[in-house]
Amino acid sequence: MSAVKRAQQWATFARTWHIFDCKWQDPYESANVIKKYLMGLHKPIYHPMNDCGDVVVCINSREIALRGDEWRQRAYFHHTGYPGGATWTLAWELHNKDPTMIIKKAVYRAMKGNLQRRHTMERLFIYPGEVIPEEVKQNITNQIRQIRLVPTRLDHIPEEEVQKYPKVMDYPEDYVLK
Amino acid sequence: MVFLTISNLIRVRGPDEFWRKRRIFRLAAHFVGRRRNCYSVAVRNVHRALVYATKARKLKKQDMKDLWNTRISAACEQHNITAFTLKEGLDRSNIMLDRKSLSDLASWEPRTFECLAAIAKQKLQLDGFIDTVDKKYPTGVNLNLKDVMLEAWLKEKK
Repeated sequence: MSAVKRAQQWATFARTWHIFDCKWQDPYESANVIKKYLMGLHKPIYHPMNDCGDVVVCINSREIALRGDEWRQRAYFHHTGYPGGATWTLAWELHNKDPTMIIKKAVYRAMKGNLQRRHTMERLFIYPGEVIPEEVKQNITNQIRQIRLVPTRLDHIPEEEVQKYPKVMDYPEDYVLK
Repeated sequence: MVFLTISNLIRVRGPDEFWRKRRIFRLAAHFVGRRRNCYSVAVRNVHRALVYATKARKLKKQDMKDLWNTRISAACEQHNITAFTLKEGLDRSNIMLDRKSLSDLASWEPRTFECLAAIAKQKLQLDGFIDTVDKKYPTGVNLNLKDVMLEAWLKEKK
């Protein structure tokens, strides 16, 4: 090996495939994290004109969590271009129609609007469940850390463990539980 | 009062028209269409271009600074240390590297940068500096400071 090629590292420019579990994650917060990997902002060789972005595979996009009342409050605007063609779709309606759409739009909006944005979006794969195609799965080498811990639901904890958990008090006999 | 300037202005008619226009056309040589061929169009666009060039001298510096910041924070993230912590640690150990040098080291000499991150971490540990921004504990390389004889140097007051 010649002295010039001693430090040549082709793998620096390789595309890495990351996986991100959207379960119980805020799509607008996680969009900023996903954006970083898509654009290659996590690499010290980053340059806006350097094609160093990675591929991100999002799973469980059906299980995203919006904060507060956002499912009912947030509206997605679309205009067909014809008079009277404006529509406002609420977040829960959009999510029922296409469970991948909210996270996709969140990532799209997190990036700056330039010519590169649509090409960068091509490197984002979103799947509503845990099932991903084999040809995608075999490329994945890294997992992006989730922003929030996924809480365990009370009805997913086994019955006997719930019974064993120490109680502060018992409800009175005549107390009506809602 | 004697106005010397006025008599001078009458005598001197300014530069020759050809040369005046030529100066503008030279600056418009890389424009396209009428913007480079017609004087009245060319001169407007040349003036606009010169204004852009003036503004861009400042913008270029800002852009480079942003790029260096992006690169440094990307490299810091690999070693689980924030850019702020790195800067603070390096300042305290009297390593005066600017953004440009740090980002160059981050992309061309990652091992050097890793050691710098380790030094910053070690210095902050010795100083007992608690960084509230840094939730995660820095996990750079563990320098064996006694081997490289940095310990005394880091401990001395800078």
